[in-house]
Order: sequence, then structure tokens, then C-alpha cells
Amino acid sequence: MNETAQGEVTAVAAATGSKDPEVALAAVAALRGLVEVLEALNVENARAKGWSWEAIAVRLGVTKQAVHKKYAGRRFRLGRRSG
Amino acid sequence: MRDRFTDQARRVLELARVEADALGQRYLGPEHVVLGVLRDGTSAAAQVLRAHGLELEAARVELGRLAERGVVAGPRPSDAELLGALGIDLDAVRQSTQGTFGSQAVAEATREATRARRRGIARVPRTPLEGPPLLIGRTLQFAGERAGALGQATVGPELLLVGALDDIAKPWPRCMSNRWRRRLLAHVGLPGDYRGAARPLLEAFGVSLDELHGTLVARLRGAP
Repeated sequence: MNETAQGEVTAVAAATGSKDPEVALAAVAALRGLVEVLEALNVENARAKGWSWEAIAVRLGVTKQAVHKKYAGRRFRLGRRSG
Repeated sequence: MRDRFTDQARRVLELARVEADALGQRYLGPEHVVLGVLRDGTSAAAQVLRAHGLELEAARVELGRLAERGVVAGPRPSDAELLGALGIDLDAVRQSTQGTFGSQAVAEATREATRARRRGIARVPRTPLEGPPLLIGRTLQFAGERAGALGQATVGPELLLVGALDDIAKPWPRCMSNRWRRRLLAHVGLPGDYRGAARPLLEAFGVSLDELHGTLVARLRGAP
């Protein structure tokens, strides 16, 4: 039964692709989750390399206020920095 | 807490994850811990479960039945399958980001993205880079507490099972029903009032929860 359930799921994902909203929307949500993590990582990486909020915002295609509001309070830092 | 887990307890949790995956359920709940104990099969906990009439295959079928009734989530595609349908190789993304930034940074960025601290900040309930959500926090917490109460230095499969039973018996604090949690539950296809499904799973086999609890605790007291 397990193998069947797994097989069905894979078949659904592969065969219907973007036609079935159930699968397509879930795929979009997964993609958004991926984007959020990649954005957080790369914004922090840019800040650690001394980039300004404005420079980051231009690359992301948003205003510097938007990127500052979203990431100024972030809790993680790449590498160790004093102070 | 997890450094007190025995190797067997870790294996049980790993098998629980495998079982959830095989059922196409994209979260880890106490019901999967029961399946994990049965699949591992060698522990005293598994003996006790079998003595109460539970078998792995029957338990799988029963959990599938609970999914059909909407008590737990039904099978749904994994993140890797969903992204694969879009032409994205999730494993490749994971390897390249972890290679570039390190797994610690990826874990922290994931936390950053999934925990909204202020209103109005667009965040996601979870991300494909982390594993399935672990909805067994209370089970693990109570297993640890019981270990202390019973004077056990380590947490084995028996204590995991006792933790799952304590989870059923003890009332849920209201803070466990919040917007963030409901969104997470909905995201993996669980009903908003999901409180773990170990109880319906065990009761489907006519198991008396008190009796099972008593047997396990007696076993733990007998073999320190």
C-alpha cells in the first residue's frame, strides 16, 4: 500500500504538472519557500561584504526601505563578526 | 535533550520519518513514532505494542484509513517532486547553497524565513530546504520529563512511546493553537485542530491507553 501511495503521488506530480491547481499551487508555495531562504542568505552575504542597503535593493528590484525593513532585524550573521 | 536519546531511539525516529514519507504524509507526528517503534521491532516498546495487538502492516493500513477520514493528512507530493515538476532539482539547490554558505547558515536563514517576528513581513510557513515539520515536540518533551521522573539516564523507544501517551493524556495549552501553527498544519494538509493521531491509531486496535502506559512504565521501572 505504501509503494502504491508513493507511486500515485509521484504520478500526480509528474503527469498533471501545472494543470491541477492543487499540485501547481503547492509547487508555487515550495518555490516561494526556497526563494525566501535564498534571499535571506544572499542579502546577509552582501551585507557581510559591506554592500549598502541601496545596492542590494537595486539588484533585488525593490526599494532600499523594503529590503531594510525586511532584513535589518535579522537574527543570523554569516561568519563571526566582532561587535 | 536529544543527546540523551539512545541509538535505538534515534533509529526509531528515523524510521518514523521513513514511514511518514512512504505514506506520502509530509510531517512527523506521534502516530509515526508508533509506526517507527513497530518497524524497528526489536525494542521492549515494540514487544508491548505487539502484545496489545498492533502489527506494522495493520498500523500502516489504519493510518491510511485515518487519512481517508481526514483525521490526518492524505498523501501529497513532496517538495522535491513539486519542484522537480518545475524543473528544479531540490537536492542540487540544497547542495550548492550548503556548499556556498554552510549548513549552519542555511538552517539559520530557514529559521529567519519561517518565523515572522513582526507584522507585515512576508514570510513562509516552511521551506523545502528543511525537512518535514516535526509535530512531535510534546512527545519528545514528555519522554524527557518521564526519563527524569523514572531515573533513566537515557531516552529509549519505551520512553518515546510513554511520551506519546502523555501527549494524548495531558491537556494542550491554548498557546499551542496560534495562527502560525494553524498555517503550518494547513500547509502540510492537516486539520486545524490536529493534536497528534496516536490516540485514534491505538484505539482502532482496541488498546487501552492507561493499560499500555502502565505496562511500559512497569517495564522501565523493572529494567533501570
